[in-house]
Amino acid sequence: MSQNDTRAYLASARAWLAEQAPAYSGAARRGLSVEEDLALGRRWLHLKSEHGYAAITMPKIYGGGGGTEIEKVIFTNEENNYDLPTGYFGISLGMPVPMLLKYASEEVLRELVPPAIRGEQIWCQLFSEPAAGSDLAALTMRATPDGDGWRLNGQKLWTSWAQYSDWGVVVVRTDPTVPKHAGLTYFYVDMKSPGVEVRVIPKLAGESEINEVFFNDVFVPDAQRMGGVGGGFKVAMETLMIERYAVSDEAVGGISVEKFVDLAMRTRINGQPALADGEVRRLIADTVAERQGLRSIHRRAMAAIAAGTEPGPEGAIRKLLGARRRQQVSAVAMDLLGVDGVIMTEGAQPTEDFTESWIESPPLRIAGGSDEILRNTIAEKVLGLPQDHRPDKGIPFNKLS
Amino acid sequence: MGDNQEALAMITDQAGRLLEDAVTPQRLKSLLQKPGSFDRDLWLQTVGLGWAGAAVPEEAGGFGLGWEVLCALAGHLGAVTASLPLIQNTVLVDALAQADCGYSAVIEQLVSGEAIATLALFDQGDNGISDTPQLVYGSSGLNGVTAVAPFAAVAGFALVHALREDQSQPALLLVALDQKGVKRDLRNCIDNARGAAALDFANATATPVAVGDGASSLLMRVAARAVIATAFEQVGGAGSCLQSACDYARERKVFGQPIGAFQGIKHKLADIYADIEIARGCALDALAALESNPRAALAYAAAARVTAITAYEHAARENIQVHGGIGVTWESAEHHYYRRSRSLALELGAAPYWRDVLVDHVELLAEGY
Repeated sequence: MSQNDTRAYLASARAWLAEQAPAYSGAARRGLSVEEDLALGRRWLHLKSEHGYAAITMPKIYGGGGGTEIEKVIFTNEENNYDLPTGYFGISLGMPVPMLLKYASEEVLRELVPPAIRGEQIWCQLFSEPAAGSDLAALTMRATPDGDGWRLNGQKLWTSWAQYSDWGVVVVRTDPTVPKHAGLTYFYVDMKSPGVEVRVIPKLAGESEINEVFFNDVFVPDAQRMGGVGGGFKVAMETLMIERYAVSDEAVGGISVEKFVDLAMRTRINGQPALADGEVRRLIADTVAERQGLRSIHRRAMAAIAAGTEPGPEGAIRKLLGARRRQQVSAVAMDLLGVDGVIMTEGAQPTEDFTESWIESPPLRIAGGSDEILRNTIAEKVLGLPQDHRPDKGIPFNKLS
Repeated sequence: MGDNQEALAMITDQAGRLLEDAVTPQRLKSLLQKPGSFDRDLWLQTVGLGWAGAAVPEEAGGFGLGWEVLCALAGHLGAVTASLPLIQNTVLVDALAQADCGYSAVIEQLVSGEAIATLALFDQGDNGISDTPQLVYGSSGLNGVTAVAPFAAVAGFALVHALREDQSQPALLLVALDQKGVKRDLRNCIDNARGAAALDFANATATPVAVGDGASSLLMRVAARAVIATAFEQVGGAGSCLQSACDYARERKVFGQPIGAFQGIKHKLADIYADIEIARGCALDALAALESNPRAALAYAAAARVTAITAYEHAARENIQVHGGIGVTWESAEHHYYRRSRSLALELGAAPYWRDVLVDHVELLAEGY
């Protein structure tokens, strides 16, 4: 894609968003219940699908945009400037549906993909369990053969948006007698099947998207298997790698450094403007400089994508640094607010309110790869350092203590 | 542009190979042992290859390859902790060309590498560029003492910041250092390879390059350009530290496994990698801003400065820790970087000063595609 094409695409996306987004964002969302907000989100996604802005890289025949990776990155960047109800569909269209495109038959795709792209149906991803998160291959949920399908028994945990999901992709253990990575299989499953029970888990703060999901003798036809029996770990890794370059906004969903500077201008420390305080200035300088570095990395990644090549591994540091930074800046902002920094305002958004930005920070450092896992990934994949010691390597899963 | 890119690739490629061969640990250690050391052989060798004029515009007698080539060369120098006054010479030529008043003889010497420049812009006891310089320039000439400046031990010309007595305003002055009124005070430093000295002026002859507001804006231009090229030198050094630490972590075994398999080590190294990539990003953006957004170059330079200092110090400091006992011996090369990371962190104004500059100019950092 030439630079002119890129500019033209950006200009039309910007204009379209400027015209359409206000009715679905900001004030339009204030005071809505979660159900109303989700309904608004479905309408927004539907509107986007009519204009080629939903699932931009997916084929048009299924309702996608038929566009390129760079168009998707550009549009998402611009869309992030508005506070739109898109979060409900991030996982659905980000991972399970693209995996379906890879593994399902034409017939299945025609039936299941269009409703997902239009926001009529939502897909979730059932990976983590109580004793398997960062170490996904340690999962214990079982699938046992039953006629032309499988019976699923066990529990999944931290499943985002399961409470609204129509379908899910799931990794389960089909063979406990082989080493842990080798005994897993991947399916897609109807979340309305008999025996599926979803319970919302309240978060430390904010509306909760996370759930525990119980499977009691749930039947899944073998036709819904994705990949080979025992090949589930590979498919799960493909799922996690599918997002070549995650497009999060610069403040990782939190409040911008510009708003922190504004706050420092109108608050005082020991009678002096907070903006004159050395500690505050240091935080501003370090935050702004770090953001500048991330912007540069992001711009080069975009150029790589536009040129049809893979972006470099340095993109991995965006979430690692950004989430910690959001937590730190929000906490110092509360310091500046004084004791009233503890007040939680009804309906406040983390993009507008420091207290909200702070209290909703911790999950960002866990979901999508904890700080520790991200560091391991950088150390092993980029720096070529050896894997951690793994005492369970090569041992059959049912022989592990 | 295509020709330039080719020339640029050629010269930097050559630089990498030359420095790898020429800059041996023994050579670096001998430089560290004596105050005010300077690797004149390496300087003459690189001058012969045209490095001193590589970035200088053709109309000033250089090769016109721009700041990009200076930054690339600085990165190579940093990677092996070689000390050459490339940045100082190039920045002084730029400043004199800006002032545009008959410095062609000096420029010629600097571009050919026959003369060496020093930027002696800092006062004793001040970690940044002062609005009220302590040096005084008046009817009796230039008087006062600068803080230690790199290459002042061997330089032919200095750019200094002084208060012009008669007008009570700051001035940027060019001083020829081989004259009676100049004493070079060589001190034993953490990094003696920098050819550093304090300059002691007693009724020295000097020429004003810019005065008043003109001096302030030229000073900021000088500072921004020196800082940006130095950021590449720092990123180069930091990259070598990370490389060295990773190599060692893969090799060295304790408790039956390489230390690089322990998260205490691998996470430390991943954090250093993140700091370096941030610094590299800021340095690249600052270099680009010199062309595309010169009005904001100071802000981009400040971001590059702050992140380069952080990254290099982080990498150099922790590299020694990863090496353990061997890292604290004279024999190991790790202390060359530890020393250099600190001297480069101080030479052009310390981090607290540049953080202040960044906060004061934060609104200039724009983002677009």
